[in-house]
Amino acid sequence: MGKYIVKRLIHGLFSVICVVLIVMVLVYSLLDRNKIFAGDPNYNHTQSNNRVTYEQSRFEAFGYLDYVPYSDYIIELVRSGDLPEADRAEAAKLGNTPDKDSETAAKYITRFTEEYQSKGYTVTRLDADKKRNGQLRDGGQPALFATKDIPLPVRALRYFTGMFDIDNIHYAPEDAELVGERGLTFTTRDPVYNPTGTENVFAPAIMGNGTEHRYLLYFDHVFPYIHQNFLTLKLGESYTVNRGIDVFDTMTDSQGKYILSTITYPTGEVMERADDLHTATYIQGSRDATSANSQRFVDDYTNVTTYKVGFSKLGYSFVIGIISTVMAYVLGLPIGLLMARHKEGLVDKIGTIYIVFIIAVPSLAYIFLFKAIGGSVFKLPTVFDMDSASKLMYLLPIVSLALPSVASLMKWMRRYMIDQQNSDYVKFARSGGLSESEIFTKHIWKNAMIPIVHGIPASIIFAMTGAIITERVYVVPGAGNLLTEAINKYDNGVIVGVTLFYAVLSVVALLLGDVLMATVDPRISFTTKDR
Amino acid sequence: MTDTKQNHGLTDAELFAPVDHSALESEKITAPRYSYWKSVFRVFFRNKVNIIILSLLVLVIVFAYIYPVVSHYDPYANLMDPNSKHLSPVKAMNYFGASIHWILGAGASGESTFDAIWNGSRISISLAFICAAINMTIGVVLGAIWGFSKRVDLIMTEVYNIVGNVPTILIISVMAMLFTPSFWTMVFAMTVIGWIGIAYFIRTQVVIIRDREYNLASKCLGTSTIKIAMKNILPFMTSVIVTQLATEIPSYISYEVFLAYIGLGMSDMSLGRLIYSAESAMVTPGWEFEFWSPVAIASIITVVLYVVGQNLGDASDPRTHM
Repeated sequence: MGKYIVKRLIHGLFSVICVVLIVMVLVYSLLDRNKIFAGDPNYNHTQSNNRVTYEQSRFEAFGYLDYVPYSDYIIELVRSGDLPEADRAEAAKLGNTPDKDSETAAKYITRFTEEYQSKGYTVTRLDADKKRNGQLRDGGQPALFATKDIPLPVRALRYFTGMFDIDNIHYAPEDAELVGERGLTFTTRDPVYNPTGTENVFAPAIMGNGTEHRYLLYFDHVFPYIHQNFLTLKLGESYTVNRGIDVFDTMTDSQGKYILSTITYPTGEVMERADDLHTATYIQGSRDATSANSQRFVDDYTNVTTYKVGFSKLGYSFVIGIISTVMAYVLGLPIGLLMARHKEGLVDKIGTIYIVFIIAVPSLAYIFLFKAIGGSVFKLPTVFDMDSASKLMYLLPIVSLALPSVASLMKWMRRYMIDQQNSDYVKFARSGGLSESEIFTKHIWKNAMIPIVHGIPASIIFAMTGAIITERVYVVPGAGNLLTEAINKYDNGVIVGVTLFYAVLSVVALLLGDVLMATVDPRISFTTKDR
Repeated sequence: MTDTKQNHGLTDAELFAPVDHSALESEKITAPRYSYWKSVFRVFFRNKVNIIILSLLVLVIVFAYIYPVVSHYDPYANLMDPNSKHLSPVKAMNYFGASIHWILGAGASGESTFDAIWNGSRISISLAFICAAINMTIGVVLGAIWGFSKRVDLIMTEVYNIVGNVPTILIISVMAMLFTPSFWTMVFAMTVIGWIGIAYFIRTQVVIIRDREYNLASKCLGTSTIKIAMKNILPFMTSVIVTQLATEIPSYISYEVFLAYIGLGMSDMSLGRLIYSAESAMVTPGWEFEFWSPVAIASIITVVLYVVGQNLGDASDPRTHM
């Protein structure tokens, strides 16, 4: 069995990689990349040459190509010492046309062109854009840059290698001003709980210096109570949906109003804030960047997230999804059983009408129907409000999700039960004198449950991904709409990340379903040897 | 023996003729004449509910395909008339005079909701039928090959595992953005990977009956695979295919409504687009008719199509022909 699972996982991994490749082809190669400017207000404000460079920088941000402006190259040269600081201004200044370049500039421009052309880049030089009277147009300054489209294999390789980010003590650059030595320390007196050092609260934590995260392992009061930052999952950076934030964080970060509490910052400053000091990450030079940071922090670990009242996107979807799944099984299975037990009876007839209604009627129609009935007859809240403490607002989304699943479970349970009723072992049991209820509860039920069991892990796992229509109709801040939102906003990073996430979930769900089915029914075996 | 009176004056030789024993004839089994499709319709019409549902279906099709031709629907006819917008049925009848056009009121640009719905239904039903025809044809043919050949099975199962994980919404939106979101783009988007689910379903059905004893016996006796497929398996599959078709056709209408709702619909005023554009009317008192009538008509169409298909599927199962 173990060997089989490993084989299945490797297979799953292969198909997940293929899915990501297909999605990358779809979003990066097939779609017109100029569509990203459709909803971009800055685009219309840029003109002439500036518009061309703006386009290129945008393409880079969306992950289409590598873009190197000449000015970046000069900065890099100065940093590495190849270009004397004194020549910097002259070297960076482009002439209006190539023959008007100064001698120093021409030298570095040739070097830039040769270097990047040899790397396969396309080097573009835009001459100054002048009006008829000889003055420069707005944004008409000359420009020089190198671009290179990222080929699919490179893109995929970068994506997969960058996915697992292991934090290490060399994260902070060599020239960074660190307070203290680089390294990891284990402490039983977590500074967040012992800000002045005299509280003596027992709280173990592993802290890093030179790492990206200050706290690599810590305990707090937020589920799952123990947190680690050694390994971070990076599914792809968002650009338009949630700027600069990774897809995985977009899905798992809590939302809503801030929870204020009294926080003692490392400097001893006490304030009413919502900051979660455990999440501090390193940003070079950030302490001195703002006065607020230098007041609160002693080093560059200043980038913290905040405590908020709501769940994360996944959290909301999961809470609603899991309750409705449980409800569906609790209601659907017994009703399906009853329908099969009294076939052609009243329950069966009403149940069948309900099943036809749910299958045939567009889901949008009945969700709106539930919303209208729930809102006007039962006076339930029809719009989700994260900041409200009322639990009633969960009711309608849960019911809207559960009722269709009830129908499908009823349908399958009835089908399987009726199929089993005609089998030989049931006829044998009946001829042996067993009562109908005994046959049903002891024999048919167990056999009919086997295919149902196969679907349980999938329905639990997919409770997380949320439902598009339900979440949209009730304005639930869940994960269901993330993909459609990303598609509408051309956020390629999010599209790829979300697809990968779904693909992994579906591979795992299918495998768990098979394993569970084999555990419940000893006759089923996936290895030929066991048979 | 020679009682001529009893034999009406005929001899035994005249009355009785010896019959040759024919080995071929003795193999024939006597049974009442059986015509498959006749039996299907006999079983189908035995249920009186089916007659009602079928006449509803005919009514829907007449309204969707013939009514728009007769009604000369023009969505912008009353655009300049400020008093004609968002009218409830009673107000619309008072304003325009009682006619079939205004029994569901008037919409956002003073158009007849009733006419708009049937115009949209024509687009939605056509979309559903065309998509179902394409997907079922490709799906059944490829599914049969997939089920029969073990080598194809290995490759196709892998393809299915991969393609099945690419979100359909993504593919449809890429198609919608690549081309103009017209009717045929939508058909292409829905069929480009839509067939694979049907093919997988057919494959599973074929695998189940492929190795049944009677097929093995047939194979041992030297029947060609094509003959086994046509004579042994296809009749068995007919009811499965019809039942599948019954679920497919309404599902395309529902899916189109869903896509339009999330903003990925086509540019034609289909049922989905009507519901999408009337969504704001749902919460406005007095305007509810604009939203609920396309929803109700879409539901009626899908239910009628589904029930007819399911019952036809039941009737096409030879086991019900007793």
